[in-house]
Amino acid sequence: MFGWAGTILRVNLSEGSIKKEALDLNDAKLYLGGRGLATKIMMDEVDPQVDPLSPENKLIFMTGPLTGTMAASPGRYMVIAKAPLTGTIGCANSGGHFGPELKFAGYDGIIFEGKAEKPVYLWINDDEVELRPAEHLWGKNVFETTDQLLAETAEDARVACIGPAGEKGVLFATVMNDKNRAAGRTGMGTVMGSKNLKAIVVRGTKSVAVAEPEKFKEVCTDARRKLKEHPVTGEGLRAYGTGVLVNILNQMGALPTRNWRDGGVFEHAEDISGETLAEKYLVRSKGCFGCSIGCGRLTRIPEGKFKSFGEGPEYEAEWSYGAACGVGDLAAICKANFLCNELGLDPITMGATIACAMEMYEKGILTREEVGRELKFGDAEAIVELTRMTGLREGFGDQLALGSYRLAEKYGHPELSMSVKKQEMPAYDARGVQGMGLSYATSNRGGCHVRGYMTSVEVLGIPEKLDPLVTEEKAGWLKIFQDLTAVFDSAGICLFTSFALGLPELADMLRAALGWTESNEEILKIGERIWNLERLFNLRAGFTKADDTLPPRLLKEPLPSGPAKGKVNQLEVMLKEYYQVRGWNEEGVPTEEKMAELSLR
Amino acid sequence: MKVKFFASIRDCAGVKEDTVAFSGTVGELLQFLSKRYGDSFRKAVLAGDQVSDRVIILVNGRNIVHLAGTDTVLGEEDEVSIFPVVAGG
Amino acid sequence: MLAPDKCIGCRTCEIVCSFNKTKAFNPKTARVSVLMYDEAALSVPIMCLQCDDPACMKVCPTGAITKGADGTVTIEDKRCIGCKLCVSACPLGNITVSPVENRVVKCDLCNGEPQCAQYCPAGAIEFKEAAPSTIKRKQDIAERFKELFGEVGE
Repeated sequence: MFGWAGTILRVNLSEGSIKKEALDLNDAKLYLGGRGLATKIMMDEVDPQVDPLSPENKLIFMTGPLTGTMAASPGRYMVIAKAPLTGTIGCANSGGHFGPELKFAGYDGIIFEGKAEKPVYLWINDDEVELRPAEHLWGKNVFETTDQLLAETAEDARVACIGPAGEKGVLFATVMNDKNRAAGRTGMGTVMGSKNLKAIVVRGTKSVAVAEPEKFKEVCTDARRKLKEHPVTGEGLRAYGTGVLVNILNQMGALPTRNWRDGGVFEHAEDISGETLAEKYLVRSKGCFGCSIGCGRLTRIPEGKFKSFGEGPEYEAEWSYGAACGVGDLAAICKANFLCNELGLDPITMGATIACAMEMYEKGILTREEVGRELKFGDAEAIVELTRMTGLREGFGDQLALGSYRLAEKYGHPELSMSVKKQEMPAYDARGVQGMGLSYATSNRGGCHVRGYMTSVEVLGIPEKLDPLVTEEKAGWLKIFQDLTAVFDSAGICLFTSFALGLPELADMLRAALGWTESNEEILKIGERIWNLERLFNLRAGFTKADDTLPPRLLKEPLPSGPAKGKVNQLEVMLKEYYQVRGWNEEGVPTEEKMAELSLR
Repeated sequence: MKVKFFASIRDCAGVKEDTVAFSGTVGELLQFLSKRYGDSFRKAVLAGDQVSDRVIILVNGRNIVHLAGTDTVLGEEDEVSIFPVVAGG
Repeated sequence: MLAPDKCIGCRTCEIVCSFNKTKAFNPKTARVSVLMYDEAALSVPIMCLQCDDPACMKVCPTGAITKGADGTVTIEDKRCIGCKLCVSACPLGNITVSPVENRVVKCDLCNGEPQCAQYCPAGAIEFKEAAPSTIKRKQDIAERFKELFGEVGE
């Protein structure tokens, strides 16, 4: 077998049974791996209307055919289930070393079914696979759990686990691997906790082979050269991390400030930027498995009340805890981010939910009695303390654990939640970057930037420079981005490589690894197939055109300042065009012709 | 007029921002700044006489690509931001 | 030359080493390993340092390990009986048993073109003359003197 390992583990937690199944090569050819293949399995085996936290939901860990090779940044795996935060197909991507190790043990992925009676963990040591009791780990944080598991299995093993947040049903809990890497969004850690599955530990000694070794080495070497020569992947991300975006989004007036209430210019942007992080707290850059980019941050706050050490924060967390909460104290943001890693929380939803609560508090919707403290914008101590309380579901943290939509809705103000399909949008104001609005509204996993990163063309000019303030051409570009991203995710390599690499380089790596002769267009078609399959899952789960929308604030409240002053997001125009470009009907449903074209019928 | 520098451009300029008494186009401003900050700055922002494709230049938050490019005329009240090509997410 | 201060812990060296030696990807067959120290925020690439007076060579009962004119210490597979005494003898732990090849392996500098150095994205592994430059360390010390005794500038 080339590229793929060829075997999938099926673990039924209710029965305590473990089966090894041959990878379905037909499906692998149509859906590649990762996100695509796991969504296909979900569609075949799970009713899209299932309660995400019931034993009937399944939880799938899946690598791609390039995971664990010398391809560009090949350390990725994905976690897929029906999502508790959104009710859509849930899906989160992570790097580190866990995914490759699973391949080295001989498996492309793991399907978890049912629910264990008591907490368990899965120990995979090459061919030997067993479920072990995990009651002694329940309640421990991610770092404690990882250290304990390495001590009781093998020191060269790799661990993916949940923290207290996943155990306690926080709706945006992450799956954490290698301590600091997160499969972050949509609440995949929550599903894991609902199954009483604390962790997966894996150790592998087998090899991943490719079909044409010399050709593969050649195309990977070429891809790595391009990554090194590109200013973003060769210099910028290593030096400043993803936080290098803070200043540029702020200068463009699209850094959403104080729960998106005060427009897109944050007066303390410089204080929370990647430049400031590098200058004040960065110890070293860190790369995931086989990665030449090294955007990871090893960060130390040497003194003061937020004294701490950990990894991150990334741009999105610098924004969610920073601009969105009106906080300009980078040490507090770092500390809150480290707590997310330890407790297993998604820092985007966590920060954005605190921001929403801050606006509710300032409006008098939440009181001091309910929150247990003052909660005004700019309160650096609050972001740290409320993160801790949410992860442990203490006091008001029990309410924040529901995410901003359910919190705001409970008090009769769902319009104050800056979310799409109940998942909080990230750090690009869609009034100042129009195409990002369409991306949020149509994302198959709710408010999210990594399903179709229009910022790349609208803000950064990669690979082309589109005007962020107009709607023309956005639908067509978004379709290409969404389809191509699905291929990157399913191949098992990092999306960040796409700043320097395009479809031709990705297709070259896949062809040489798998011995394929498929054209670039046929490989991009895989992405379109995956996108449509995810859409079908969501339609069957009950979503309609009405859910492809944005919070009213983005559609009705014009930006008060900056270059996009006076703008709202013109979603309606773009959405109509988008459905046409996609080959969907006016209700946003894929037509019979489109389904047939994509072999979905 | 205020000129702001970000990421690696800061290292080339040696300052985070500067106030310059200048009138003219963006292209002329880049020549002016290159004289002031020297070779490493010039190499970072210019490729020959053209703007390097490795920088992003904003005037009042708008990319000059969507204005009049290097011919964009600057006034005393304008704010210019110079970034290397960056990305993240 | 190894520069752990530059290492980003990506293990690209392991993956290209294994591929060069076995035509497949597997860190367990790599002749180089990256060790991670979470608390110290440091990762260190480790491989055979081609000692001047190799313990592995001394202990080998069949004379399978030799040091060539260029200084490279190599294992001759035909003479190796797999006793693993060299694995025990290496004070640095840089001789291992490859699970796939099922034999004792060590870094042989890829015939003068070490793949790990070529592919290291951070410049943490470099292949150059074996006289370690100490100028950087001297500078560090001098820097401290400067801080202590130098005039305050500006």
